[in-house]
Amino acid sequence: MAVVILVIALIGVSAYALIPKPAAAKIPIQLWYNNSNHYGSTEVAVALALQNSISTCGKFQVTLKSDIWTVYKQNWVSQRMPMFLLGWYPDYFDTDDYISPFMGIAGAKSEGSFYNNSQVDQWVRDEASTSDPVVRADRFAKIQAALAEDVPYIPLYSSPAQAVYVNGVQNVELHPVSFKWFIINKPGATQLNASTSDHIINLDPASAYDFMSIEVINQVFDTLLVYDAKNTSLLPGLATEVPTRANGGVSADGLTYTFHLRTGVTFSDGTAFNSTVVKRSIDRVMRLNLDGSAAFLLYDVGALRADHLPGDSAPGVIDTPDATTIVFHLFSPVSFFNQLMAFSVSAPVPWTYNQNGLQPSTAGSVIGTGPYVLTTHVPDQLVVLDRNPTYYNPSLYQAEGIGPIPKMDRVVINIKSTDSALKQDIETKAVDVAFRTIAPVDLADLEGRQTSLGLTVKHGSSPQIRFLVFNVNLVPDKHVRQAIAYSVDRGAINSLVFLGQATPLYSMIPPDLPFGSPVFQGKYGDAQCASANALLLQLGSAMRLQAEIVAVARDR
Amino acid sequence: MARNGSLFAYILTRMLLAVPMLLILLTAVFIILRILPGDPVLALWGGRSPPQPAIDAARHELGLDQPIEVQYITYLRRIFTGDLGVSIGETYNGQPVWNQISGRFPATVEIAIGGMLVASLVGIPLGVLAGANRDKPVDLVVRMFGTIIWVIPIFWLGLVLQLVFGVWLQWLPANGRWSGADVPCGAPSSCSFRTGMYTVDSLIEGNPGHFVNAVAHLLLPSITLGLVLSGFFAKTVRANMLRTISADFTEAARARGVPRRAVVYRHAFKNALVPVVTVLGLQFAILFAGAVLTEKTFSIEGIGILLLNSVTSKDMTMIQGVVVFYAAVIVVISLVIDVVGAMIDPRIRL
Repeated sequence: MAVVILVIALIGVSAYALIPKPAAAKIPIQLWYNNSNHYGSTEVAVALALQNSISTCGKFQVTLKSDIWTVYKQNWVSQRMPMFLLGWYPDYFDTDDYISPFMGIAGAKSEGSFYNNSQVDQWVRDEASTSDPVVRADRFAKIQAALAEDVPYIPLYSSPAQAVYVNGVQNVELHPVSFKWFIINKPGATQLNASTSDHIINLDPASAYDFMSIEVINQVFDTLLVYDAKNTSLLPGLATEVPTRANGGVSADGLTYTFHLRTGVTFSDGTAFNSTVVKRSIDRVMRLNLDGSAAFLLYDVGALRADHLPGDSAPGVIDTPDATTIVFHLFSPVSFFNQLMAFSVSAPVPWTYNQNGLQPSTAGSVIGTGPYVLTTHVPDQLVVLDRNPTYYNPSLYQAEGIGPIPKMDRVVINIKSTDSALKQDIETKAVDVAFRTIAPVDLADLEGRQTSLGLTVKHGSSPQIRFLVFNVNLVPDKHVRQAIAYSVDRGAINSLVFLGQATPLYSMIPPDLPFGSPVFQGKYGDAQCASANALLLQLGSAMRLQAEIVAVARDR
Repeated sequence: MARNGSLFAYILTRMLLAVPMLLILLTAVFIILRILPGDPVLALWGGRSPPQPAIDAARHELGLDQPIEVQYITYLRRIFTGDLGVSIGETYNGQPVWNQISGRFPATVEIAIGGMLVASLVGIPLGVLAGANRDKPVDLVVRMFGTIIWVIPIFWLGLVLQLVFGVWLQWLPANGRWSGADVPCGAPSSCSFRTGMYTVDSLIEGNPGHFVNAVAHLLLPSITLGLVLSGFFAKTVRANMLRTISADFTEAARARGVPRRAVVYRHAFKNALVPVVTVLGLQFAILFAGAVLTEKTFSIEGIGILLLNSVTSKDMTMIQGVVVFYAAVIVVISLVIDVVGAMIDPRIRL
């Protein structure tokens, strides 16, 4: 009898084992990317590598979706994308600029994650309003821990920065904030020829909010404070010193910043530079609030308006007690206000600048106090910068061994519409420097032949970060987001797409900045499929529900 | 007199017919741009959620808060008064549409003329040769050439030419329109007027070095575009040659003992050329609208790239402006072709 029962049991178990079972339900999710080259020609490859690494773990069915940049931007505002690729280039070089736009409630809404954590929001306000390093370190550590736990974003990599130049060209520095053409030297020549595939949108500091426009502005305009030639330390520019609490430039409550201005400075058109001009320039930016500009950095982030809305500063907010002193009274402490005064949006412009709209970006209309003067601008084709004969600060980087600036009498920047044109230009030595952006495969090719070609390929870290955004309303279960964080394989993206030229990123704060901690490396690592699947298994029946939720989100 | 009157009536008819054609096109552009996905106003804010008052203000400024019929009438009125508006896209934000078009059109015209020259110099003789030697080896070779060159992707041919002549041999500049800082007629005082076409401007300023610079940059894109078109030209000319070479008037010429060469070139070719001129003219008009791939491959900022960038940034006013301009160019060239055709062949205007 027992044998019969045993045989029947064996037959039953065998039959059960042999019966084909339906495949385990996978969680469907869309991965969106931009298909109009907003982040360069590698975007599709990045999306494919991500799709592959997430799908490989077996629990997710990732569908790729894409849109042109204009529609893409609206997609995240209107919450159509559950998971999407995004990038960030800092406006000011402070750790806050990698945190508040993402983890603060208002910022997260703007960036499309809709992450809403009031405790984290408070920590963000704390770190933004103090310059105390101990407090900031504590708050940034807590925020990054929350980031790793809640996973509204998955940091992926820091974009590579590179420049290729003809041997003999000197001082090509891949500065984290601004590429300084005015320190580059080509011994024996007076003219430097360069190519870029970036484009200039316009050269009015009140409007420019893209890399290359700001790049040219930084050669033609100076700001109250400027960056060191090689790192992100601030130096006096049009101001005589960097305001600190120690020198009395910053009040004890962090609400007042006083800048003492240099005397004898003139704009390249010969008009005077003084505190009134600086105030008028700042007010112009805030009042015009030109479309797509960085004006919000002054009236909102910079706390120069109580209502955080565009408009002139209220009386007394920006004081000009004399021609060489300007005092900013902020409505709340902003620990990185000095950095804002080093950003192009704060660049003083002459009294004659258009007060009712955009200043033309033509030669003769772009007037600053910087090392160069714009003498030719053929839109999308050519920019010519000539030495500013009245430049006030040629010894700016003397202490760093960089002699008088600008080094060259003339810099000619050719603007090309393709990456391959950039490579051709430097390979044939039609130009001396190629900067932004040579495709990874072309860069690897040039690097392999640099000795025979007589070129130098220089790599550097870029402040631009790339990351994955989850709309937490559309993917509400953090375990699903965590499982995807386990699945992501940054090594594959780096080797397959960037041929090893990118830097894997494990926090929204890049490693070059203070307070950054690679929280995703310790918690999730890369391509940890076993952990991802174990996490999803723990959810058990909840996973089916999650699949339905995500599927619904996908179809919205 | 009668003949002139007839030609005048013909031209007038063609011009009147152009008006509804333009209107239909303008209406189609207006409708299509408004049904495309993506909101041009929201697009201005770089992904940030703008406050509602700001959205409303922008909509009002652009007239997008008006009823659609009012928008349509305003749109037509502005176009017919020559006001193409200001760009509302990310790439050209705030810049007058006409400035962009007028700044880029000369580059496109130069490529178009260069391409047409190469295509004509290569394609027409080959077509005549093939037509005059039907089914002989030379005909087969030309037909094969015509087919192969016509189907070669233009960007591929461009890249090959760039690689060989621009990078390896370094005989010609690989890309761009100009080398150096001093573009022809760049300084306001250097020319009494400027066309924006560097070849012409360098002649205006009387600078041979500049002319060589401009022509050198024009050669590779012109050869690329011209070679691809030459296949089409050769086939078109050949087909028309075959038709005229067996026509009664050429048979009669042969019967009268006219030498073969004269029969081919004086009788067959000239008559074959009339329909060819029409086809080539239209091809030329299409090139004026922008040889996008050639411009992209050779990094030449012409009308084609302008349209491409405008579409990808949903720059409604810029797309409208470029398409209207394109339509006007096509209408004018079509008109010219029709008039020239009517002058050459009176049967056309009957």
